[in-house]
Amino acid sequence: MRHTLIDTKGAGPVVDRRTTLRWFAAAMAAAPLAACGESPGGFTWTPPEPLTGPGYGGDPDLLEPSVPWPLTLTRAELAALTAMVDLILPADDNALAASEVGVPAFLDEWVSAPYPAQQQDRALIVPGLAWLDSESMSRNNGAVFASAGDAAQRAILDDIAWRDRVKPGAEQAAEFFARVRSLTMGAYFTSDDGWKYLGYLGNTPGTGDYPGPTPEALAHLEGVLNSMGLEMPT
Amino acid sequence: MLNFNRDAPLRGVGTPDKDFGYYDATVDGGWDIPDEPYTTAEGSNFMWWRSRMLGGRTNHWARNSFRMGSYDFKPYSRDGLGVDWPVSYDDIAPWYDRTETLVGVYGANLGMPNHPDSGPGVLHEPPAMRIWELYMKAGAEKLGIPVVPARRAILTRKVDERDPCYWASPCGRGCSIGAAFQTTTSLIPWAKATGKLTVQTGAMVYEVMLDAAGKASGVRYIDKASGAHREAKARVVILAASSGETARILLNSQPNGRSEGLANSSGQVGRNLMDTVGSRVSAYVPALEGRPIYNESGAHGLHAYIPFWLYEEQAAGRLNFPRGYHVEIGGGFGEPGMGGYDGYDGYGSELRLNVKKRYGASLGFTQRGEMIPNANSYCEIDTDTKDKFGIPVLKFSFAWSDHELAQVDQFQSAMRELIDQLGGEVTSEARPASELISTGGEIIHEVGTARMGDSADTSVVDRYNRAWDVDNLYLVDGSVFCSKAHKNPTLTILALSMRASEHIAGRLRSGEL
Repeated sequence: MRHTLIDTKGAGPVVDRRTTLRWFAAAMAAAPLAACGESPGGFTWTPPEPLTGPGYGGDPDLLEPSVPWPLTLTRAELAALTAMVDLILPADDNALAASEVGVPAFLDEWVSAPYPAQQQDRALIVPGLAWLDSESMSRNNGAVFASAGDAAQRAILDDIAWRDRVKPGAEQAAEFFARVRSLTMGAYFTSDDGWKYLGYLGNTPGTGDYPGPTPEALAHLEGVLNSMGLEMPT
Repeated sequence: MLNFNRDAPLRGVGTPDKDFGYYDATVDGGWDIPDEPYTTAEGSNFMWWRSRMLGGRTNHWARNSFRMGSYDFKPYSRDGLGVDWPVSYDDIAPWYDRTETLVGVYGANLGMPNHPDSGPGVLHEPPAMRIWELYMKAGAEKLGIPVVPARRAILTRKVDERDPCYWASPCGRGCSIGAAFQTTTSLIPWAKATGKLTVQTGAMVYEVMLDAAGKASGVRYIDKASGAHREAKARVVILAASSGETARILLNSQPNGRSEGLANSSGQVGRNLMDTVGSRVSAYVPALEGRPIYNESGAHGLHAYIPFWLYEEQAAGRLNFPRGYHVEIGGGFGEPGMGGYDGYDGYGSELRLNVKKRYGASLGFTQRGEMIPNANSYCEIDTDTKDKFGIPVLKFSFAWSDHELAQVDQFQSAMRELIDQLGGEVTSEARPASELISTGGEIIHEVGTARMGDSADTSVVDRYNRAWDVDNLYLVDGSVFCSKAHKNPTLTILALSMRASEHIAGRLRSGEL
């Protein structure tokens, strides 16, 4: 059987079921933070313990990649995250919503990865999701963010989503939002549908010489250069 | 090669397990290797990339293949800094031709000073420039800055069993069709086909052995799988372990208790450590918004670049730094990645439209410049630290000098002027050169730790890469460099190595070895 190389590399112990359960328990422990219904000013940002399991190792299977670490976001966290990413990149006439291209599941994979950069994101995102629920419950008669409705959700995001008009006191929530926005956009545009939306055509093998720009692309460039008083290179 | 990043964990981004991304060709190597540390002197930063795999560094390079020119081989003669090489460009030119013919390099002969032409028929046709490169060329040439075809070790016509580039797959993943040069698809299988090659993988060499007559008799190594200490005997010992590792082996080889190490009567082993000077400027060009989409992958890296164009001004004393740099340019409809979204604001459909609007309208300018050797940059054995094999590790000291910082300043301002000419907005921060310059080793062009020369007093090897102190010991990696021209070092390593190989073969045939 082909196995990941993690257990042969001395990179750390293989994750056993008990460890996994402990991680889940730790993740679940964050949920009551949202449920305790503290007032807006009273929310405490408590970063979770960093995850320290093994990664995929220095020589992973390139042909059949797999994610060796367990996913750790709770159902409640995923619900808040899904509502949030679909506000960041909603469905419209020309594009699918973030959740329709798998962004929430990917962000779960991201914050569950045992690498320093991802754990730094986890320390911001897990409490951030709890903040969203806490904020929503205090404003919306106990309704968590996912079930607060579009207008109520937007009211919260409007306090944190624009760099130059962050509501005083919500700076950390704004930092959390900005990070989720960047990750959501990355996850979206690296997906198959994201490629199609942008029109990315690369990584497609061809034979013969590289064809170079299309006549249409060249004509467009010539127009741009002419308008700037520059000459088309020969 | 054609796997999608979205199929890999974390969409293929770099992690401590795979620094340059999930699909990068380097396995079991990187900036940090578990239990194989290196150290840095207090006050020094140095990054040491190590490839612990068959084919070594050739699994991981941009394939940029610029010849060193006549100025580059005699830098001391030109400006009084550093040292001259014992060889001239004319000595090496035929070896560049032979190397380029064997390797397969695309590019163009341009007749520019210190950017030598190749022999007739040597180069492959370079791929067509893309829209953003043509755009840059149009603006740059108005300022007298050339944008010309780059030179890269990538086939654009079939050579032997190797296929030409098929315009897909980032080269860093490794190229199984053989279009992008690496030894695992060329030199190693060719050597194996002779029936005379034995490859011993997983061998951690730590010492060159000497016989009673003072000749190299082989190497000692640790078999990484079993931990056993073994020996390999040889008539000629050739080290090509990378500049750092070659110096480490020599310094750790202490025949008859000679604490200065092997081949080090000059005291130069480990000294003169150099890396390429790096910094970046990025820009956004509204004029490129909404341009027609087509496949801009091409050969993935450079089709065009900016060679150093100020040699005359420099000779006339109008520049405040010595030596040169080239500019590696980036842009285009690249594969969307996980990074680059931090500048956006707000949320909603407008956000997505903005990404589409800006797609393909960003440009990047990367400086690759020459560093001059200085007394503060070297590596030595850290007598307090051993790796998991028990081998004493390297300790790096590194410092840029004012020469490199002045070069960064001039590059930054020249590119800002160019971006202005292009109607673009600079999107990178203006900061002091000391903050913009790369960390030593970061560009992975470290060279110079066992330089060649005309005298055994001031150099480690002679003009044929042969150790002055040990007649049958040769060094054929970047350690022998006397200067670190702004040109990426691999092509020159290959050319010098071929030249040394022929020298060795001649001596073997004549019975001298």
